[in-house]
Amino acid sequence: MANLIPVAKTVGSNKIVPTISIPYPLGDPNTSKEEQWKLRYHRVGVALEALTTDVKEQTVFKVKI
Amino acid sequence: MKKAILYINQFFGQIGGEEKADFPPEIREGLVGPAMELQKQLGENVKVTHTIICGDNYMGSNTEEAIKTILGFLEDKEFDIFFAGPAFRAGRYGSACGHIGKAVKEKFNVPVISSMNEENPGVNMFRQHIYIFKGGASAAAMRKDIKKMAIFGNKILNGEELLSADEEGYYGRGIRRQVWLTPSVNAADRVIDMLLKKVHGEPFQTELPIPEQDIVPIAEPIKDLSKAKIAIVTSGGIVPVDNPDRIQSASATRWGKYDVSNIDRLESGIFKTIHAGFDPAAANADPNVIVPLDVMKAYEKEGKIGKVHDYFYSTVGTGTTQGEAARMGKEIVKDLQEAGVDGVILTST
Amino acid sequence: MKLELGNFYVKDIVFGDRISYSKGVLTINKEEALEVVKEDEHITEADLFIVKPGDNVRLVPVKEAIEPRTRVEGGPVFPGVTGELMQAGNGRTLALKDCSVLVVGKHWGGFQDGLIDMSGEGAKYTYFSQLKNIVLVADTDEEFEKKEQQKKNRALRWAGMRLAEYIASCVKDLEPEEIETFELEPITKRSDNIKDLPSVVLVLQPQSQMEELGYNDLIYGWDSNRMLPTFMHPNEVLDGAIISGSFMPCSSKWSTYDFQNFPMIRRLYKEHGKTLNFLGIIMSNLNVALDQKERAALFVAQMAKSLGADSAIVAEEGYGNPDADFIACLVALEDAGVKTVGLTNECTGRDGKSQPLVTLDPKADAIVSCGDVSQLIELPPMETVLGELESLGRDGFAGGWAGDEILGPSVREDGSIIMENNSMFCGDQVVGWSTKTVKEF
Repeated sequence: MANLIPVAKTVGSNKIVPTISIPYPLGDPNTSKEEQWKLRYHRVGVALEALTTDVKEQTVFKVKI
Repeated sequence: MKKAILYINQFFGQIGGEEKADFPPEIREGLVGPAMELQKQLGENVKVTHTIICGDNYMGSNTEEAIKTILGFLEDKEFDIFFAGPAFRAGRYGSACGHIGKAVKEKFNVPVISSMNEENPGVNMFRQHIYIFKGGASAAAMRKDIKKMAIFGNKILNGEELLSADEEGYYGRGIRRQVWLTPSVNAADRVIDMLLKKVHGEPFQTELPIPEQDIVPIAEPIKDLSKAKIAIVTSGGIVPVDNPDRIQSASATRWGKYDVSNIDRLESGIFKTIHAGFDPAAANADPNVIVPLDVMKAYEKEGKIGKVHDYFYSTVGTGTTQGEAARMGKEIVKDLQEAGVDGVILTST
Repeated sequence: MKLELGNFYVKDIVFGDRISYSKGVLTINKEEALEVVKEDEHITEADLFIVKPGDNVRLVPVKEAIEPRTRVEGGPVFPGVTGELMQAGNGRTLALKDCSVLVVGKHWGGFQDGLIDMSGEGAKYTYFSQLKNIVLVADTDEEFEKKEQQKKNRALRWAGMRLAEYIASCVKDLEPEEIETFELEPITKRSDNIKDLPSVVLVLQPQSQMEELGYNDLIYGWDSNRMLPTFMHPNEVLDGAIISGSFMPCSSKWSTYDFQNFPMIRRLYKEHGKTLNFLGIIMSNLNVALDQKERAALFVAQMAKSLGADSAIVAEEGYGNPDADFIACLVALEDAGVKTVGLTNECTGRDGKSQPLVTLDPKADAIVSCGDVSQLIELPPMETVLGELESLGRDGFAGGWAGDEILGPSVREDGSIIMENNSMFCGDQVVGWSTKTVKEF
């Protein structure tokens, strides 16, 4: 899970789930605790699904929130 | 008087041609074949004391055995530098020079110098490990190639300043270091020069060639997440506030693992980040934004995943060398495998 | 826009009764100068020193460097920072050349601070060892950050700017020894022979990565984290529109002195009308989130395209994740058909084998490299240390450490040091001075 997708790709990661920034990848402190939880829950969920997904090349998984 | 030893194959060792390629390693006192030219080029201050001869096929098919024997030969010899080849375009010979050169470098930590033609597969296999000079295609280049090896060998032995790979004439070892240009040209002038060439469609030389991308094999997908054990690993520097493993804030060489089996989230004040590469305020206020333990534990309770691993793993990813990162990665993977972890969520900052 | 820089070449600096400049000699009344420093009540202790090239002196922790300047028509040298807002880059500004005001912490340093040796092997690692320097060594009551690795250094940096303005005020009524004129015609009003030359924009990415205010480079007093790329006249940069911040490993930083003298800008002026048509500066920044980096690159490429730039130069003030902003910008410009050259430093690790930038792209095919932040440097003790040598190892310097299994501590008992180039004060000189490059071995 990374914010800098180009870096993750350059170093050879195969399954990449975007996060929202460098200092706070999974929860924007300018939003409420509930919103942060929702975002984190969603994106980690996408990452868990990614672990079960068969990919043939470097893949950036889509996130909804 | 400095001492040198040379490695050559059966052909140049005057044992024989292809029919003798299974010749096992042998060490002889003094000079055999190309060793004479090497001695001549090295001059009076260096003595080539021994020549090692080994058949190319023997080295190719019994590599470990051959290396072991040759390292054994060298055990009781005094030498300051090791030469291998030149191997020209001969693939098996080049690879043999590389194998033995790398092993000698690692065991005795002396400079190792070889020479190969650019089409020799040994170049790409071993250029990271030893000095391989750019050599000719065939033995016709023998004297020229040996001369280059000898000049550079003398430079090293005399403690002279060593220039870059291109300037010295060897294949770059993938080590990039800063140097002062002589004559001195400042960066603004170099930019204008490069820009004008680029704009006018003339050839130009970048100072930072883009290396080829590192490709990692893709792991098999996890079949049943509800039975899987998942761990969190981070390069975001989240540690207990007293940083018990003294992980460095930049250029890290250490990692730590921290027990989270009895907690449902990382509390501020108990965990923090020691990463110096970004504003730590948000992560210190809520470490779960980097190590998402809270939602992982929720997924565990829901049964989506079998288990969250009892530990999370942490290091710092700013200024950390790729070499150190790869070593730490391997160490962490070993620990994860021993604990039966099936999958990892790796968070980076 | 027409800027005249009136130069006075300082050959010597001495302490004396009255602040004055005469025939190359700058005289400073120490007490009076210290009063200017102490106008800010947060300054608790302060002293002044004069150091010159060849002196057996080590300075650490160095926080800032400023060229002493004053405006003939009045107004602050740094608009929006040391005084009210006004247009920078017009009119006549007087400068004391070959000298700088260096700001050194009396005790405490941090990630962003650096080291200068005025002589010996260490001198070649920074630009400031060739200058005559007025060194302010001071401490403050900013308790909140005393032990923090990241420091705003606000009181000290502002004291340095006040001091630089005060010192230069002594030449206000004097006739400069040399006048340099910087003038660019408006882009659409240029003559055909200039318009026929390949046009170029300079894209700058000053340091702006702290989301909290107080650490980043300021542009007319505005935090560069809170801006999108914008178009600026090069004279604005040369004339105090930008001040350095207090974030980033020090060798990658651009000091205020660097902005005031920006060699890349000066070099472009030299080519303007001869080989190139210098359009101006696209002032971008460095960000901490991918969408911010991508947005900035979009703005830069669009502006370059709309300005009709045939070519561009991109320079970044930093390394590590800023490389992603840098490469994104190069790629966006190349994709827009703008032929681009990058200007940066590298981080190849202590073994020299790490990927030189964290992001790479084959489109970034023309890069000038100014140094390697991770190079180890070992230096003998110096007779005099201004500041506190211990800070290098103790205070979380980017290139210093308290202990290391292999290398031992950065600061040894005999006063000798081992450090990474990372903490050489503005050492990589990406603004254009660097005579270093990086080669493969």
